[in-house]
Amino acid sequence: MAFTIATTVDEALERLADGARPVAGGTDLVVGARQGKVPLPHDLVAIDRVDELLTIGQDDHGARIGAGVTHDRLLSNPLIVGDYTALADGAALIGSPATRHVGTIGGNVMNGSPAMDTGAPLVVLGARIELRSATTTRLVDPLELWTGPGTTSARTDELCTACLLPALPARTGSAYVRLEFRRAMEIAVVGAAALVRLDESGSVLDLHIALTAVAPTIMAVEGTEVLMGRTVDDNLTDQVAALASEQASPISDLRAGDRYRRHTVGVMARRAVQAAAQRAQGTMIDVPVNRAIGIGAAR
Amino acid sequence: MFPPPDPVSYYQAMTAVDVPRFVRADGPDKVTGSGRYAADLQQPGMLHAKFLYAGRTHARITRLNTEPARTIPGVLAVLTAADVPDVRYSPGVADRRLFATDVVRYESEIVAAVAATSVEAAEAAVAAIEVDYEPLEPVTELEAALADGSPLVHPDLDSYDIDDGIVAHGNTAGFSSIELGDAPAAMATAATVVSSCYVADSCHAAPIEPRAIVAQWEGEKLTVWSSTQVPFDARAGICQTLQLPTNRVRVIVPHLGGGFGGKCGFHFEAHIAALARAARRPVKLVFSRREEFMVPDRRREGMIVDITTGLDDNGHIVARTGWIAIDNGAYIADCAFFPQLAAMHVAGPYQVPNLQVEAHLVYTNHQPSGSVRAPTAPQACWALESHTDELAATIGMDPVEFRRLNGIDNDTVGPSGQHYERTGLQECITAATELVGYGRDLPEDEAIGVAIGWWPSFSMPAGAYVKIDDDGAGQIITGAQECGTGAVMTLRQLAADELGMDPEDFQLVYQDTSAGPYDTGATGSQTLFNNGRAVVGAARQVAEQLKALAAGQLEAAPADIVLADGVGSVVGSPGASVSIAELAATAAGGELLLGHGSGSPTQAPEVGATCVGDQGMAAWVSPQVSCHAVHIRLDPDTGVVRVLKVGAAHDSGRIINPMGALGQVHGGVIMGVGQALTEITVYDHDGHQLNPMLLEYKLQTAADGPEIEVKFIESAPGDGPGGAKGLAEAPNVATAAAIANGLARLIGHPVRHLPMTAERVWTELTGGIDSTDATKRQEA
Repeated sequence: MAFTIATTVDEALERLADGARPVAGGTDLVVGARQGKVPLPHDLVAIDRVDELLTIGQDDHGARIGAGVTHDRLLSNPLIVGDYTALADGAALIGSPATRHVGTIGGNVMNGSPAMDTGAPLVVLGARIELRSATTTRLVDPLELWTGPGTTSARTDELCTACLLPALPARTGSAYVRLEFRRAMEIAVVGAAALVRLDESGSVLDLHIALTAVAPTIMAVEGTEVLMGRTVDDNLTDQVAALASEQASPISDLRAGDRYRRHTVGVMARRAVQAAAQRAQGTMIDVPVNRAIGIGAAR
Repeated sequence: MFPPPDPVSYYQAMTAVDVPRFVRADGPDKVTGSGRYAADLQQPGMLHAKFLYAGRTHARITRLNTEPARTIPGVLAVLTAADVPDVRYSPGVADRRLFATDVVRYESEIVAAVAATSVEAAEAAVAAIEVDYEPLEPVTELEAALADGSPLVHPDLDSYDIDDGIVAHGNTAGFSSIELGDAPAAMATAATVVSSCYVADSCHAAPIEPRAIVAQWEGEKLTVWSSTQVPFDARAGICQTLQLPTNRVRVIVPHLGGGFGGKCGFHFEAHIAALARAARRPVKLVFSRREEFMVPDRRREGMIVDITTGLDDNGHIVARTGWIAIDNGAYIADCAFFPQLAAMHVAGPYQVPNLQVEAHLVYTNHQPSGSVRAPTAPQACWALESHTDELAATIGMDPVEFRRLNGIDNDTVGPSGQHYERTGLQECITAATELVGYGRDLPEDEAIGVAIGWWPSFSMPAGAYVKIDDDGAGQIITGAQECGTGAVMTLRQLAADELGMDPEDFQLVYQDTSAGPYDTGATGSQTLFNNGRAVVGAARQVAEQLKALAAGQLEAAPADIVLADGVGSVVGSPGASVSIAELAATAAGGELLLGHGSGSPTQAPEVGATCVGDQGMAAWVSPQVSCHAVHIRLDPDTGVVRVLKVGAAHDSGRIINPMGALGQVHGGVIMGVGQALTEITVYDHDGHQLNPMLLEYKLQTAADGPEIEVKFIESAPGDGPGGAKGLAEAPNVATAAAIANGLARLIGHPVRHLPMTAERVWTELTGGIDSTDATKRQEA
């Protein structure tokens, strides 16, 4: 058993090249090991004290979120809350205050769970995931990163170092909505993120939807082009719900049946688009949108 | 919202009751982390225990070889049934042994136990034990289990030791009935007859502290530290199964991290004691969360309830019949009284002149059921009170009015023929409905549901000592057990009241079978009701001693001495006084200030009904009644229900410690919300638990707590100290039922399956069948 605490990315990458596995908050790794899913790796490198991974930066191209940024910071960071609100919505729903305090965006992304709450927001926001190894750096589309439940296309010597988000045009809003049976320590049964860009008259210029926990990975909803140029009304959101429900391929498990999941993912997509459109119009809806608009009657 | 930062001001803001302000003696330890729980204990040379579980729900052991485990380095003891006395135990029906012998009857039945120098070595040893099984057909469905020709969980049941009064045969671990008047004949005369069927799934107590045990031998004397709610029961279990005399065994409970009934009963203390004896070292067991869910014989029982009620033209109940099947699981644990108790909850706190309820406790190959806070009540009350709203709807009467009309009142006779001279039920109905504004206009996705419930006070033997040390500070040495309710903490207030002292002047010595006299433990809401009686008795003896000493010093008659505010003074001459501290110092030089108390438990009242399989549950000492009115909102697109506000009115007699009592109601309500909406234990077809983890077993969290407003109705005093009744379980009875009735108003008909999960509610809303239900899916 080896445990190293890295203080630089290079140091962490060197350890990964030697076969170590990275650990930040440990909210997936340790809990999974305790549940007997996967034993704790024998060689671990802690990356939670690598300063380069802990920053949230912004330039003309957009934002750069270090992989070690915790959910707690995401949900309270003015840039994320202001411009990339869906991601703040998602971060605010993860686990409990304790989980959010130590769990990181990089951990959430690389755990590759189809039920991850930052995944659908990252997809609709157009994120790219930065993967570095001792010798390479590359940017990956998250939908290409996630290859199945708990699996990614990253090599074992690669470390997720950042999530890059493009700058968003004016009159753009985003939201993430999740079905929840209780208000803490919940895992997504279904969820949906939406990004809506409107023109000055309120017509849709751009609309992206991604879904949580209804496929082997986070999935993007296709066919939203037909919604361009229309206003966000009940007709449009009905169509959104139908698209989401049709394209979902949910399973039945302990948490819910497939029929219920297929229906409710449509409801979540509808509510995500409604909230994103309101935000695009400049309406303030507090994070997380679940509480603000009453998902699961949660007003 | 809940909880407020200052419970005292919160409570005072909503009642006129003066809240005594004293700090729980165990509070600072628990909130600062300085308190020690069983899992924290370390002994020199201590070993770690692990159990080998069957892993199948019904099978015959054909070969068991522990030799490979014994060769693993660090393993110092490996035990099976062959290594302990061949004793069958369990209250009522002696149906189990410490270790499986030939047949395993649920998946977590213990086949072998190992003690080793490390947890890892113990785990490796357990994995190395070789067992071959011949599969037997599992029994998991209640109605099928009762049918002729069903495989039997205990084919040799008739040869077991069975207590008198228990009717057990086939897969029936116990049958009880309550019969009053002539229900079939009266039903034939009824103007309206409504029949309903309800099914409740099982769930769990889920205390946050998984249980832990440490056992240590010193010569022939055994000390066991255990996270149990019932140390004297645990001691009795150790003595019975290991054949030890009582005075060689001491059970100590460090701080207990919650129990909710899940830690009642004798569990694993004897296994660990036997390992410690075999290994000649102290041994410690600490359960994982998964084990805490799967292994103990404590689970809230699943239930099927059929009820039929007949009404006359005026809406009065003329007859009720009921049939109940209760999932006992593989062994009876403490369930023998469950059928009759469930029958009382299906009868309900109503005036029912003709009653016939039959209840079967059914053996299955599930984890054994056992007392979880108000056993049988939340489910049976949910069924009865849903049925009651159906009755009211059928005759077009407001459901609250229906309860006023048919509910018990002062000087009425209840469904088992017991006469109630005083009861606060009608006042509870008024108070609870007012607390939430029943009857006002609400948005179309909101409703208020109302339910009434009841619960006994349990009369038990109990003992305590009270002493005052030389500095005038007191100690209460009691057999009582604290499981978080604060009942033991409140004993300080009773002693202080008798002695004119401050509750903070008293320390508690408790949770040690060799220190305190016998007490039943933190079970049946009985601590304050019974041990309070003992403490008052003991304190009164000390008061007499103090008065005699004061009388001597003040040259007055002892009868004229009053103890108040820490001094003894002469009636009418407040200037003539002497402090209790001075009196204590005087006493320390001679006859010590020492009292003991026990007192006679209240005798059970008369039952008017005829009972088969009578377990003494058909007539209650100091019955408690309650009404919960719940304001809910339904999200019709998802079936998710949120509880916005609960108005809870309780007649639990006189409230001794309002702050503690308030906490009990809050906790009971939150637990009830969970049982109503999210808490379910899911099984596969063979009886394996599928969600033994907190991620998938959805307890309510602090963030889910609704606003809870409480009113105590104190007009019907009980037989406990100062007119107290029990309290801890009563708040867990009616919440789920009230939520159900609010939901039925929004949907148009009841959801007949508990818990009323979002998916089940949505299925009802869409008129679909329950085919997507988790339980049903597993059967498919």
